[in-house]
Amino acid sequence: MHKAGCGVMRILTLVGLVCLAACHTGGGGAAGTNEPAKPPGKIRVVFKHQPMWGEPEPFRQLLAGFSQENPDIDLVTEVLPNASDAVHQYFLTSLEGRSRDYDVFIADVVWVPEFARAGWISDISDAFPPDGVKRDFLPGPAEAVTVEGKTYALPWYVDAGLLYYRTDLVPRAPKTFDELIQFAKDAKKKDPSLYGYVWQGRQYEGLVCDTYEAIWGFGGQTMNGNRVMVDTKESRGALTYLRSLFTEGISPPSVTSAGEEEARRTFQDGKAVFMRNWPYAWGEAQKPDSPIKGKVGITTLPTVTGEPGHGALGGWQLALNAYTPSWRREAAVKFMKYMTSKKAEVTLAVHYGRNPSRKDAYKDEGLRKEAPFIVDLLPVLENAKPRPVTPYYGMLSDVLQSEFSAVVSGIRPPEAALDRAQKFLDHVTQGGS
Amino acid sequence: MKKAALWFGLVAAITFCAGPFVWQMITSIRPESELTSLGMPSTMTFESYTGAFHGRPFGQVIVNSVIVAVITTLFCLAVGASAAFALAKLEFRGRKVLLFASLAVSMFPPIATVSPLYLIIRNVGLLDNLTSLIIPYTTFALPLTLWILTGFFEDIPDELYRAARVDGCSPFQAFWKVLLPLAAPGLATTAILVFIFSWNEFLYALTFISTPEKRTIPVAISLFAGEHKEPWGEIAAASVIATLPLIVVTMFFQRKIVAGLTAGAVKG
Amino acid sequence: MTAKHAENVDRGSLSPKLTPEHSGLRKSGDAPFDAAKKKHAGQSDRRQAQLMVLPAVVILVVVAFYPILATMWLSLHRMILVFHEETFVGLGNYGFLLSDPRFWSALSNTAYFAAVAVVIELILGLGFALILNAAFPGRSLLRAAILVPWAIPTVVSAKLWAWLFNPEYGLVTHLLPGHDVNWLGMPGYAMHAAILVDVWKTTPFVALLLLAGLQTIPQDIYKAASVDGAGTIRQFFSITLPLLRNTIVVTLIFRTLDASRVFDAVYVLTEGGPANTTETLSIYAYKTLMRVGDFGYGSTLSVVTFLCVMGISLVYLKVLGVERGKGA
Repeated sequence: MHKAGCGVMRILTLVGLVCLAACHTGGGGAAGTNEPAKPPGKIRVVFKHQPMWGEPEPFRQLLAGFSQENPDIDLVTEVLPNASDAVHQYFLTSLEGRSRDYDVFIADVVWVPEFARAGWISDISDAFPPDGVKRDFLPGPAEAVTVEGKTYALPWYVDAGLLYYRTDLVPRAPKTFDELIQFAKDAKKKDPSLYGYVWQGRQYEGLVCDTYEAIWGFGGQTMNGNRVMVDTKESRGALTYLRSLFTEGISPPSVTSAGEEEARRTFQDGKAVFMRNWPYAWGEAQKPDSPIKGKVGITTLPTVTGEPGHGALGGWQLALNAYTPSWRREAAVKFMKYMTSKKAEVTLAVHYGRNPSRKDAYKDEGLRKEAPFIVDLLPVLENAKPRPVTPYYGMLSDVLQSEFSAVVSGIRPPEAALDRAQKFLDHVTQGGS
Repeated sequence: MKKAALWFGLVAAITFCAGPFVWQMITSIRPESELTSLGMPSTMTFESYTGAFHGRPFGQVIVNSVIVAVITTLFCLAVGASAAFALAKLEFRGRKVLLFASLAVSMFPPIATVSPLYLIIRNVGLLDNLTSLIIPYTTFALPLTLWILTGFFEDIPDELYRAARVDGCSPFQAFWKVLLPLAAPGLATTAILVFIFSWNEFLYALTFISTPEKRTIPVAISLFAGEHKEPWGEIAAASVIATLPLIVVTMFFQRKIVAGLTAGAVKG
Repeated sequence: MTAKHAENVDRGSLSPKLTPEHSGLRKSGDAPFDAAKKKHAGQSDRRQAQLMVLPAVVILVVVAFYPILATMWLSLHRMILVFHEETFVGLGNYGFLLSDPRFWSALSNTAYFAAVAVVIELILGLGFALILNAAFPGRSLLRAAILVPWAIPTVVSAKLWAWLFNPEYGLVTHLLPGHDVNWLGMPGYAMHAAILVDVWKTTPFVALLLLAGLQTIPQDIYKAASVDGAGTIRQFFSITLPLLRNTIVVTLIFRTLDASRVFDAVYVLTEGGPANTTETLSIYAYKTLMRVGDFGYGSTLSVVTFLCVMGISLVYLKVLGVERGKGA
């Protein structure tokens, strides 16, 4: 009677052992280090990027130019989702699975140290030595793609946070936080229906950018050596200032759930005096049907002292998949060189508003003629600061989003929030640097 | 007075239940420019529907959902019917344990199994593969299957089973030839419920699949992105596409579903 | 997975039927048949039975039970997935959890959500059930209508309500008094919006369960009570509620369980915001696992979620056991 029962038990034990084995095969598993053999014919290079909103033709021609110059390479492009978080999760799953399906892909400026540490992107110092990168590209992006003295990605296009203001409502661009608040109040006195200052206060990455800009405005530093310093006097000052925007009625409550688009729409409808946003909003504001066309000025963010503030560094880089087989590598590197050449970057700037990452692109005559606004942005872009450069950025961001959002919504005072954030950060990054 | 209260309750209830979905349907046929107005649309247009497929692999996504749901249902029925029969008609050690175990599994919060499943799936190279969904779906639909089908098999008189045995069938043959056909209504009810569960599942689909072309409907809809703002019209259209078949099936099999969900109560 | 709970409920009990009639070969009147067949057929029958059950057992063990144990094992490690860091830290994660304020607020968010949602669903569901039970024209329309929320995928219903709650364009925002209330963006309001979504989605199911219970109450009792002069309200409290008690308790169990492990609706609606005020245990665990990549602490949170949910079910089972011991 009991013998039959034991059969089941035996099978169960076997299954359990198989599972144990499967679960604890650390990284060994599937792909390993054996590369697929090189097929005959053209070398196929796959490039993954976000959608280039706008006219598709110029981009297609740019890519066609590469194919013409390199007849032995077959270039294929694939589109990624738009949202940064979704792209990050895509790469997390795909690269953990050691995908070889693509070669060159875009990486957000804050991901490079993380991807480098995870071993997902290739060290390309041999093709792009760090000194060369520093020489050719803007300082902020160059710093962001260099990890431990090696180049891990190439800056492709750049963004920085700006302050937008209504030239018809304020006397001049504010230089300090106090001036911003005062100008907003004055404008509201004349027209009480106006909002003073709209920005990104929702619980997401944009809030982290805005808050760091305020922290830098108070003179705060992001890192102390390798340790991320969050609970500092300057941070407390910055968060207090941000919260005061709500309590003093300068920013409406809807800002606590606003992203870039919500802020832009409010400002573009003429309802706000000041806005913090990325450069793309300028192009939108100058469109023929925009109610504020011709009435908008841009400037650097305000600070405590009146010095020009640092915008948060945004933008995307080109990285090389570490699992790309060696025989595709050279072709992929050629492609990266091409896409970060002056010609390519100017094309992207003129047709898609992507600010170039190369210094010499800003001296290009064609760019100056077609998109003078971008050339004028150079000082702001040069002054942009990166958010903490650490492989733990993803974890950091999650905690900072929570705590900053709590302060901005008035749930928690800045001291408590920063204390919690620092404790969590130290716990997560302990043992790692 | 009582009649009036009942009527009011009825109308309120119907509005509450069906209203939001009807509003979504209206939103899906609005022209883009009227998307944000609150009255009735001036004209009817299907641009949101075409827009939902434009630049996104939504068609592929629907196919993915269908594949996963169908395979899960078949798998679940096969495994579940055979086990339910044994639970209902046969005697073996561990019967009680199995029933309690499946009850316990039905109470697990899905998040509790995500991390090790993710690691196992990664190690066997099935990340970003639809197979990685079929297995957990079958597992978590199994308790439901077992409970419904065991009940159906129990309701079939034992005489039929014993007659088949006397005729020389093994237990499996008796199951296959005699009892399974009789349990067809139960199989149908279970199939519908498992299909709906698989169609709707979100957490595992979100975690194990990342490529847009391999996603299932719930994840795709939650990640619908436009250039900068959320494309509400297209989300509405996609929602209607994803849901209308379910609603049609539910209405059609309404009696069956309600009977399946509440069968035991009447019989006590 | 709420339908299966219906099945459990409607069987009137939670334990498998072990009465003789249902265990196959054991009917008393068949002694000679049994005695003869049992010796030979017994063993091979048992083997066949086990083979027929084996696939189900294997699946449940491998994909459900084993991972639970594995999660517990993972929770004892510091494991950063992307850096392939993995060190054993014993109960270190649990120690951190006890002093983690975000965990405690996730716990209280979950408890609040479950309590409020379940109570509202019970009351509303009872109302629907009473309407459906009354011999009343138009109730087939209601019956069809209430299956709509049940059939719609949870994610789709969350998107639906997100549109209705949109601060600028949403229908609900405009219909409700109090302009400038950003339902999904303001702490306090967001939680109640999430509860509303859950209520909308699950009340129909609760209604169906309660309806099944109502239908077991013989109409004669009501007729007799009317003859005795008892009004509708009195009848409701003295007849309907007491006789429904078992059904209500079982419904409570399964709804509380489901509400405590809620993920889909809230995640799609608010992602746990604003400022983590709608972050439930499942969402916190998910974010820690997949956004932060901390598989060690994420597993710890998952284990604690699991223990809480199972704890609730044990409590309820005890209560139900007492109920069944007491009542009919």
